[in-house]
Amino acid sequence: MNNKMIMMKFMFMVIFMIPLCLKKNMFWLVQNLMMLMMFMFMNLNVSIYYNTNLSYMFSCDIMSFGLILLSIWICMMMLMASENLLKMKFYVNFFLFNMLFMLLMLYLTFSMMNLFMFYLFFEGSLIPTLLLIVGWGYQPERIQAGMYLLFYTLFASLPLLMGIFYIFNKGNNIMFYFLKFMNFDFYLLYFSMILAFLVKMPMYFVHLWLPKAHVEAPVSGSMILAGIMLKLGGYGLLRILILFEKLSLKLNFIWIIISLVGGFYISLKCFCQVDMKSLIAYSSVCHMGVVIGGIMTLNYWGFMGSYLLMIGHGLCSSGMFCLANINFERLNSRSLYINKGMMNFMPSMSLWWFLLMSSNMAAPPSLNLMGEISLINSLMSWSWLSMIMLMLISFFSAGYSLYLYSYIQHGKYYSGLYSFYTGVSREYLLLLLHWLPLNLMILKVDWVMIWF
Amino acid sequence: MNSNKMFFLFILFFSTLISISSNSWFGCWIGLEINLLSFIPLISYSTNLFSTEASLKYFLIQSIASINFIFSILMKMILMKNFEMNNFISIMINSSLLMKMGSVPFHFWFPNISEGLSWFNNFLLMTWQKITPMILLSYYLNKNFIIIIMTLNTIIGAIGGFNQSSLRKLMTFSSINNLGWMLASILISENLWMFYLIMYSFLISIMCFFFQLLNMFYINQLFISNINYSIKMFLLINFLSLGGLPPFIGFFPKWILINFLLSMHFFIITFIFIMMSLIILFFYIRIIYSSFLFNYINLKWMKIFLKNKNLIFINFLSFLSIMGLILSTLIFL
Repeated sequence: MNNKMIMMKFMFMVIFMIPLCLKKNMFWLVQNLMMLMMFMFMNLNVSIYYNTNLSYMFSCDIMSFGLILLSIWICMMMLMASENLLKMKFYVNFFLFNMLFMLLMLYLTFSMMNLFMFYLFFEGSLIPTLLLIVGWGYQPERIQAGMYLLFYTLFASLPLLMGIFYIFNKGNNIMFYFLKFMNFDFYLLYFSMILAFLVKMPMYFVHLWLPKAHVEAPVSGSMILAGIMLKLGGYGLLRILILFEKLSLKLNFIWIIISLVGGFYISLKCFCQVDMKSLIAYSSVCHMGVVIGGIMTLNYWGFMGSYLLMIGHGLCSSGMFCLANINFERLNSRSLYINKGMMNFMPSMSLWWFLLMSSNMAAPPSLNLMGEISLINSLMSWSWLSMIMLMLISFFSAGYSLYLYSYIQHGKYYSGLYSFYTGVSREYLLLLLHWLPLNLMILKVDWVMIWF
Repeated sequence: MNSNKMFFLFILFFSTLISISSNSWFGCWIGLEINLLSFIPLISYSTNLFSTEASLKYFLIQSIASINFIFSILMKMILMKNFEMNNFISIMINSSLLMKMGSVPFHFWFPNISEGLSWFNNFLLMTWQKITPMILLSYYLNKNFIIIIMTLNTIIGAIGGFNQSSLRKLMTFSSINNLGWMLASILISENLWMFYLIMYSFLISIMCFFFQLLNMFYINQLFISNINYSIKMFLLINFLSLGGLPPFIGFFPKWILINFLLSMHFFIITFIFIMMSLIILFFYIRIIYSSFLFNYINLKWMKIFLKNKNLIFINFLSFLSIMGLILSTLIFL
């Protein structure tokens, strides 16, 4: 029972998968091994009240458990979605190595007990993302997208490094568990530590890197960005806000207002998009705006709802990017003017479009619904005026999700199409794996609703 | 590298040892002079016009610095009989040593001269030549002056490298930037400075070795040659490591230094340092565009072939860069 290696064994599993990438024809083996890792990880004992499965520097509580599961799941599905690379033989070995490096960094980020180690791997996960976007992306604009991603995130997170060392020098320890005993009443520290996560989330004013990065990334890059990288910001906020109780009671209204109003603007902007991926990227910003609002209210419903919405959004957005890529692989275009009337060609795929779009607009029985209901509860209890923004955001998110669905699926197809092939079973499996946790985990959601 | 150069290299190493282990300031000055004397023949090739010009400029600058140094030492000895600490004299001594190192505001010779040097000589200029002046600096430090200088170093190192396309000049400006970090580390502890210097020398040695092997001097040369992508990945990893990105080993010295600087409450200085390191990272990434853009138009003129034994060395150094941070935790068991 007293096993010190429980969490470390997963880290070693990923590390020892790395030599596998050097051999030929290892793509599907690595993907299956990731699936195996997922099933092994699910069996850990996780307690609500404490950090469990303590190992040398690792720990596992509910927050990190769910997000590690999500990251392993999405990394596995990234490999499944990128079969195109295998067909074209486009640096497959390096792609696998990149994937494993990313999984390692993400796993370590979520499972570290130490704030500085969290920062180290938080930054470390940027590099494989950058390599994915700039290496395997399609257009020349990906250089600018990579620059924006790297510099927006680094500019905000270097003051976070300074803040961590300040806390270390004052409080003499930076373990997550002991952060609740420290209290800092220092404005500059508050801003510098929160800004890093707000840029990563992203919040409205500092969201410019997200549409660029998502659009220019290949499908695997988009999946990991939407699926997990945004949640790193949320996880960081969930961990750090304990330090600033008094100060955040005074100042959090700024972030709530910015993200709610910004979410409204962004959801309006979604209606003007022509690029499918751009629309999904902006909808990510919109959802994350509500998440930030929920976290910043500092109440229990808010934390819970944001956690649920993070997981649900990770699965849902990643699934939508897979769908967009399915269309892109056939038509070589992401534009809405060309991708229309798809129901004529792939009626089975339109089922998946509908299921994932309905989850995006938080229709029952998806995790998104549960998250949004909790967040609406939390924001309304914080101030009834947020009702206006929440109403508009929910309404317009339903609006653009339906808009995307109906534009792509219904109507006459683009007459310039020459040939087409319907969905292959790999793609259906991919979408099933996205949708199944999203819509079935609502049956066991009390597991997440009962925290401390 | 024939035996003549070996001889002068040997004397170069010895001169540093003379300088840092002497009991009197005269011994330090003697070491500095022998350093200058032995570095000039290392640089100058009589057939190459650039390198003779560089060696001439180097001689001029360093001898002015040496003259300033000996004058200030004598002044200090005569006027204060080596007892008190005078602001003006300490600034004079520090300035002459800063001129020896190529630090701001006496840095203008540094990029200029490095254009005429081969990569190995550049490596010596950027790492070994810094040891003596830094140690001598730590003997008679003027804290306020050095704080201003180190901030300026990082700023000018970052901004000066912006419009450069020559790799040697870029490495020089990055060296000026890192000199700012090293000056900060000397303010805190000599041990810390030694650690930073060793890590920095390791990183720079990889870059200089790599560029020497490929015979590259300008950024566009990286794009037009047919290096295979494993070598390019090596370039990518090491440049990101030099820029101080986690999880590579180049993050380690910056991490330690930021920790100690913040424990001494140097908040604004640390902020300036890290922002400037972002700017330096930007122009490193400009260099390594050739590595991570997998498909760009590639000319087939320059074909570069690397020997096998160099390849093994490159792989080993690259492995150290990636795993170094994790392996270094084993040292502090």
